[in-house]
Amino acid sequence: MEIAKLKAEARPSKGSREAQRVRLRGQLPAIIYGHGQTPECVAVPTDDFTYLLDHGKHLLELDITGTKRSVLIKDVQYDHLGDKPIHVDFALVDLSERVTVSVPLEFRGTPVGIQDGGVLDHSRVDIEIECKVTDIPESIRVNVSDMKLGDIMHVRDLELPTDMQAVAPADAIICSIRSKTASVETEAGAAEGEAQQPEIIGRKEKEAESEG
Amino acid sequence: MAMMPKRLKHRKSQRGKIRGRATQGNTVAYGDYGLQALGSGWMTARQIEAGRMTATHYLQREGRVFIRVFPHKPISAKPLETRMGKGKGEPEYYVSVVKEGMILYELGGVPEDVARRAFALVAHKMPFRCRFVVRRHAI
Repeated sequence: MEIAKLKAEARPSKGSREAQRVRLRGQLPAIIYGHGQTPECVAVPTDDFTYLLDHGKHLLELDITGTKRSVLIKDVQYDHLGDKPIHVDFALVDLSERVTVSVPLEFRGTPVGIQDGGVLDHSRVDIEIECKVTDIPESIRVNVSDMKLGDIMHVRDLELPTDMQAVAPADAIICSIRSKTASVETEAGAAEGEAQQPEIIGRKEKEAESEG
Repeated sequence: MAMMPKRLKHRKSQRGKIRGRATQGNTVAYGDYGLQALGSGWMTARQIEAGRMTATHYLQREGRVFIRVFPHKPISAKPLETRMGKGKGEPEYYVSVVKEGMILYELGGVPEDVARRAFALVAHKMPFRCRFVVRRHAI
């Protein structure tokens, strides 16, 4: 697997105002931590980082003014609208290390059950896997073309490479084909019991009668 | 029928102020697509119901609609042709306090173009500007 490279600059001054100045320069404030080392504040180019993130990269090689470090994207903070990243956490990793990461699921094919009036219901759109840091896939393909009406796909049904393990329980549901009528029942259930006025917590019945 | 709380601690509430932006409920959590509020305000139970009906009607019972807001806040009003005074009015309806960035509805199990069209119709019924958002994968 090719490791994506990203240039970074050391960020000597801290604080929210300085972070804002960094963002105005087109950079993203970031922190590197892990392996018992002192956390290090850096800044990375926003556009380059967003490009790598959008392409499903997890492992990066940071070039901090000549010093190269292998890091894993641990966490990304976004603005209130969830558009722009405002801060990134990088975790130091060895290339032989095993890590736990979340990988998107890619559903392939049109299920047979859809022709019988079913709906494909995604219970999960990503899955946590444990694997070697250099073997993290961009996505995991799930073939749903053989699924019939009422079929349920569990985590245990996933075809993962031998050195890769799913962290989620084996009986956790990934997707299912349910009939369209199921949603009608839930809607009818939701509509029930709405005609009454709300009950007031802690109020005695006598008080309610004297008021009414 | 419009949504309303089952139990309340206090029958009437003060108006309050809507300060700041949403710090929770601002990511798509259940479906694949979401409708995000770009303004703050009160969303009445009738507006929530109107949005749900529009989405389910457009989708013809395909996919799944998730409502991410609930009208917890009672709003009181005085009857028409009543003189001022004589205490606070009776609760008339219930609203959800929405902050900028909150996800109002989510949709799952439908293609993106269908979800976009459904949410465009729903957005017309909302009391603030809204936009279509796609679920972001966890890292």
